[in-house]
Amino acid sequence: MPERNGQSDTPASDLDELESKLKAARARREGSKQKDEDRDNSMLGMAWRLSTELLAAVLVGFLLGYGVDTLLGSRPWGTLVGLAFGIAAGFMGVFRTAAAMDAKNADIPIGDDLPPDSGDEI
Amino acid sequence: MASSPMDQFKIDREVDLFTIFGQQISWTNSAFWMVISVILIVVFFLLTLQKKLIPGRMQSLGELCYEFIADMVRDTVGPEAMRFMPFIFTLFFFILAANLIGMNPYAFTTTSHLAVTAAMAVFTILVVIVAGIYKNGLGWFKLFAPAGLPAFMYAIIVPIEIVSFLARPITLAVRLFANMTAGHIMLKLFAIFAAYLATKGGITALGIILPVFATMAIVALEFLVAALQAFVFAILTCVYLNDVYHVEHH
Repeated sequence: MPERNGQSDTPASDLDELESKLKAARARREGSKQKDEDRDNSMLGMAWRLSTELLAAVLVGFLLGYGVDTLLGSRPWGTLVGLAFGIAAGFMGVFRTAAAMDAKNADIPIGDDLPPDSGDEI
Repeated sequence: MASSPMDQFKIDREVDLFTIFGQQISWTNSAFWMVISVILIVVFFLLTLQKKLIPGRMQSLGELCYEFIADMVRDTVGPEAMRFMPFIFTLFFFILAANLIGMNPYAFTTTSHLAVTAAMAVFTILVVIVAGIYKNGLGWFKLFAPAGLPAFMYAIIVPIEIVSFLARPITLAVRLFANMTAGHIMLKLFAIFAAYLATKGGITALGIILPVFATMAIVALEFLVAALQAFVFAILTCVYLNDVYHVEHH
């Protein structure tokens, strides 16, 4: 490849090195996911993620319950049940995210517990 | 100079364009700065459009950006999700550009408005839903009912799963909006405090050192937050895209 670019005097060791780099890059492209150790595991990002997850789930549960109440006129039962589900969902989300962060050495992205090769396409 | 820390978030209607369903559509300062960030991104990537075997500076930058997002998609979802890479690339660089533009004096931070971040978050979650149903059919809804539970548990788990799914666009939108808004308010507060102390004169004016240093520190922090929040938005979009491809493993 370098010959085409007028750099035919590249030493063979450099070429070998390039070859191994290319191979690694190709493996990365074709292979399935791999862990990337050098990603910044930001505490700030994790804290924000956990806190907003908890609050948003509670809010959504409350609003869903409130909406049901408004439609059916069943106040306050819909709101109460919705709030209960929202709080449950919030805690479940936080525990799930925290477990995933722990599993991945406290990294932000989760999802490494997925099958290595699912081979499906859209 | 703006006297209130909230003045920087004010939307100014510059030109009234037309009305849809009684809703006035206007050209605003927010729209202006959104267009500016899009133009900046397009110009930046046009400059990186070179196809040399040995890349120059601009081409290296473009390739770095590409590889960064491509690796993020591959590592968090998998190679099969690469068709969503342009979407995530666009999201990341639009948010990054908007956040960084907001760090300039007199510029408007479009991402400090919930309407903007919510539009992006809702669109993201719609993409996940539509792509999930397109790919898995109605089997996609198994996402809300994990397998292998006693029957009565489903009455509890399914609503919880649905609520936690619906909470996602809210977390996405609120996190970006709250980060940008809070940071800019803090920045303005300390700057106004410094200006206020300076007008006092005498020994009080010496106290200006504290808010000035605080402002400098917050500027540095805000640059970090600007990049970090763009990254978090993009990576969480990737995480949510997992639900398109891996329905069984929630």
